[in-house]
Amino acid sequence: MSSESKIAPHVDPFMVEVIRNGLSSIAEEMSLTVMRSARSPVLREAGDLSSNLADANGAQIAQGQDIPMHMGVMSFTVPEFLKLVPKDRLRPGDVWMLNLPSIGGNHLPDVKCIRPVFAGGRIRAFAISLAHWGDIGGGAPGSYFASATDCWQEGLRIPPIRVVADDIVDEEKLGLVLANVRTPEDCRGDVLAQISATRTAERKLQEMFRKWGPDFVEAAFAALHDGAERQMRAAIRNLPNGVYEGEDAMDGPDENTPGAMIRVTVEVTDDSITFDYSGSDDHVPEPINTTRYITAASAYYVAKAVCGPDIQPSGGCYRPVKVITRPGSICDARDDKPVVGGNHETCQRIADAALKALEHCVPERLTAGGPTTAGLAIFGAQRPDGKWVSLYETHGGGEGGRADRPGADVIRVHMANVMNTSAEVIETEYPVDVVFQRLRPGSGGAGKNPGGLGQERAYRMRVDDVSLTTMFDRRDVPPYGLQGGEPGAPFAMILQRAGEDTEIALPGRANLRIHSGDMVTVRASGGGGYGKPETGGDDK
Amino acid sequence: MSDWQLGIDIGGTFTDVVASNPATGEIRSGKVPSHYDDPITALVGAIGAVGLKWEEVDDLTHGTTMVTNAIVENRIDRVALISTLGFGDTIAIGRVRRKHIYHMDRLPKQPPLVPAERRFEVAERVDHTGAVVTPLTEAEIARVVVDVKASGVRAVAVCLLHGYRNPVHELQLGEALREVVDHVCLSHEISPEIREYERSNTTILSAAVIGRVDGYLRRIDEQKPDASNLTFFHSSGGMAATPIIAQQPLLLAMSGPAAGVSATVATMKTLGIERALTFDMGGTTTDCCLVLDGRAEISSDRELGERRIRMPMVSVHSIGAGGGSIARIDQGVMQVGPRSAGAQPGPACYGRGGTEPTISDANILLGYLAPGKVLGNAITLDRGLAEAAVKPIAQEVGVSVEDAASGILQVAHSNMARALNKVTVERGIDGRDCTLIAYGGGGPMHAAFVARHYGIRNVVCPAYSSSYSALGCVASQMSLSQQRTVNMSSDQWDADTIARIRAELEQAVTEPMQAAGKAAEDCRIGEVALLRYRGQSHEVPVADPLLDDPKALGRQFMAMHETLFGFATDEEWELSAIRTTAEDSRQKIIAAPGQEEAAAGAPATRSCHFPGTGSVDTPVLERAALCAGEVQEGPAIVEDEWSTIVIPPGDRFHADSHGHVHIEVREE
Repeated sequence: MSSESKIAPHVDPFMVEVIRNGLSSIAEEMSLTVMRSARSPVLREAGDLSSNLADANGAQIAQGQDIPMHMGVMSFTVPEFLKLVPKDRLRPGDVWMLNLPSIGGNHLPDVKCIRPVFAGGRIRAFAISLAHWGDIGGGAPGSYFASATDCWQEGLRIPPIRVVADDIVDEEKLGLVLANVRTPEDCRGDVLAQISATRTAERKLQEMFRKWGPDFVEAAFAALHDGAERQMRAAIRNLPNGVYEGEDAMDGPDENTPGAMIRVTVEVTDDSITFDYSGSDDHVPEPINTTRYITAASAYYVAKAVCGPDIQPSGGCYRPVKVITRPGSICDARDDKPVVGGNHETCQRIADAALKALEHCVPERLTAGGPTTAGLAIFGAQRPDGKWVSLYETHGGGEGGRADRPGADVIRVHMANVMNTSAEVIETEYPVDVVFQRLRPGSGGAGKNPGGLGQERAYRMRVDDVSLTTMFDRRDVPPYGLQGGEPGAPFAMILQRAGEDTEIALPGRANLRIHSGDMVTVRASGGGGYGKPETGGDDK
Repeated sequence: MSDWQLGIDIGGTFTDVVASNPATGEIRSGKVPSHYDDPITALVGAIGAVGLKWEEVDDLTHGTTMVTNAIVENRIDRVALISTLGFGDTIAIGRVRRKHIYHMDRLPKQPPLVPAERRFEVAERVDHTGAVVTPLTEAEIARVVVDVKASGVRAVAVCLLHGYRNPVHELQLGEALREVVDHVCLSHEISPEIREYERSNTTILSAAVIGRVDGYLRRIDEQKPDASNLTFFHSSGGMAATPIIAQQPLLLAMSGPAAGVSATVATMKTLGIERALTFDMGGTTTDCCLVLDGRAEISSDRELGERRIRMPMVSVHSIGAGGGSIARIDQGVMQVGPRSAGAQPGPACYGRGGTEPTISDANILLGYLAPGKVLGNAITLDRGLAEAAVKPIAQEVGVSVEDAASGILQVAHSNMARALNKVTVERGIDGRDCTLIAYGGGGPMHAAFVARHYGIRNVVCPAYSSSYSALGCVASQMSLSQQRTVNMSSDQWDADTIARIRAELEQAVTEPMQAAGKAAEDCRIGEVALLRYRGQSHEVPVADPLLDDPKALGRQFMAMHETLFGFATDEEWELSAIRTTAEDSRQKIIAAPGQEEAAAGAPATRSCHFPGTGSVDTPVLERAALCAGEVQEGPAIVEDEWSTIVIPPGDRFHADSHGHVHIEVREE
């Protein structure tokens, strides 16, 4: 039965919502499968994973867990994948694996598994499972090589490979991949969980196709996109037309060198919005570049959060949103450039620049600068049997103030939302003690509504030869205030060697070796204030 | 004394009561309005509603939303918190994840339960092995006791780092603090498990409701005749005596929903059902729970009023879809819930000023709810108001109001099916093999539709479905659970430690039961081991674990992992916790008598609208008059005073000799 020969069936708004509920249910089931059975600590404790369903063209129709970064990027993954692997090479029972940032991707640790779903003789949908692997090889345990100057230093690069054919795992291909990561057992568990999630999705989609007919279900996909597009256009119409400019800066490689600038021009024209990042600085020989997909993901987040937070984020939602980047810039780096930290540092700055541009448009909808950095510290230690254990810990800080309330203390904002690991779990599972964890007094920026407080958390090593990776920003350029509010206190990581009182301020992007008794204190940024402080400039 | 056993469930709006007299087989049920400010009066009123005096009651089991509401509505006591030096802000930091991804305007997390000025730190440290690194000195204890006293609180929570491993410092503080405050909650007693944030929050919430619960228990004790037994229904699905509730008030946090699930377990035993999903639909939410082989799923982590608590509780999944859920259409995109008209103004058809269309309005337009029906002596359902509310949606889509109402329900049903899927896939179960057990105000009205949408074939609307939690109370047996963190890997197995923990857990759950008068031989001990591969964070529960034989335990674990996730490997695994439950093994079966003869005369009819069929004259049957075993075909409406069962065309139904109504759902 060919659907091209006839008019697409009519699907009323009730059935569209019924089918959307069914799709969301499938995507939720995928995420549950991965989260519960994955091995890498970053997946299991912090939930750094996403699940997605896409239509036959690769446009997003449902997602399991909302990490805005993943969601935006994954809307490009299948369309870019199809440019390299045409549909006629795909077969039922296939699962393809890839991590190349240039194929609708972000950074190497985020490995995607894609399964095409066939019905009536052709592809009707794709199921995609993305998971952040605890290690993907490269120059440092945890695969955050802070001094990387090119993409090959960052780890194993996987172009699309058919890792499952006829629903059987190709052990030779998987073996090649696992031989190149430091935690092969964990990663094997992760990828089996991902494959299992796509298999579940296929089974449930097939039931849906049997129940309502694939043509009807596909017509509902189209209606989902159209509905979200209409809602988004109506929401954008509520913004005043105009051209708004904003910029924000990354930290430089050292205190004396200014960092790359992110510059954006936001143009609101009736029911559409354009984010033009062409004016941003060139890519840099440091792992903070981004792909254009990341830039788009950040712009999509801003558009949705500012205009229509409740709109279903299907592909149609972003049709009225145009994102322009300049190849060779930090927002659209050449393929050979390193990107691992751009995924959570620069992406946040890209959102910050757009939000600052919109201060001239709808300040009452915005939140002042928050912890737009992962504040990442990775402690890697080798067990006596040679196996690596890595504690991958992100650190939230103070939220910015808003027109209607002060900022909250210690939280994640915008593109990120992974959790912390509890001190008791850290001490039990890693050779690391947590000396204290407390709010950071005085860190919130003053304002009519002040920013929230950051946190201080100190780690002391119980063993020698621990590899420490830092990857954080907002060390030199603090979180901004809005409408006259003061900036929050900047982010810092401090090293004190065993038995010494001297505080060594660590760079934002470093790999170093630390030993038993050494203490690392994270001082996470406070939020920016909103509005001029009513009484002088005292911090909260 | 005439041997009556009573179950009473005090809910937000109504108090339900079911009374059973095992000697005569007589059963009575009733419903009275809850007295929010005076629960004792509600209790006495409920006993009166079934024509009894308290003196005639042998055993009274009591479920209550008192603790739930206190937490959800934030009417909790000021307490102080004592933490390890350097960790007093743990509850202000939390897990750092924001609740609303795209809503910058909403508060990303709740403020801490205890403000900074009542959070005190003590110099002490116990490490993850339980070894004391920094001893707690007498001077330090004396100092903090003075601080707590000065703060003016009546209850204090103590949560020290790794206190679940070695409680020595918590015990020292507890002893000293009891001199200056009424109540002390120690984290290793309330929630003896790893993760300091979750354990702190649970301990604080216990301290914050313990005064209220204690006061209630005292007042009840004054009123209660000495010869009448009183027990409470707790969150993990059994009864507990008052001394246990007085120490562990959070046991009441999910009392009502747990009692409904417990009634389901009893019904399943009567009917020989192995797998069931509960479907409890009320005015604002629908609750679902998976019950396998007579065991309700238990989870230990949940949110209540956006507060994380950690206690073994029946694993009830709630979604924001109930009779009051509002339907809206925006730019041609349809949505039903989670916004709800609530009790005020309520659905449009209540005539209390609501104008937005709700699920109840759709039900009245389709004929499932009788126009003119009076609810609780107060509300008369008005079809005209329902029609006015639904009309704008009908016009925008271009269909009749009946078709719009039918579409609204289809959306709601797909949303509920999503909830059923969630609770089953989490356990690796295909939910379509389960029987749907429908109760609560709206469950029986929607169950057949939801079952068909999801692919379930069998629905049971049990007897007393509208007082089901009260039934669960009266049918329940005493039980008590406790869970303990172990964290032992298979390659470092220490049989002595396992044996010691098991013995301690068994003692912790059986002693209170025996103190409440249960004979040792009636206490059945059940164990669940929570296992995982090294590095996984989610544990796989293995019931009846072979803890004496790690090899056999490993095989049990792998089999369960395969069931849940479709794969298992022979890598190292670890035992992360053991949960031990003691329950009274004696069974109670309570059922309503079925009718043996059909009612005379043709039944009344009313016009009902069904998707795909349109409007049909539908027989309206009285539930009490259904003849046991007589199979009939839908469409039909089966009513009693408090609930309505809707049987769509093509489905078959019958009542059994226990008064349960069974629906066999036609395949699509």
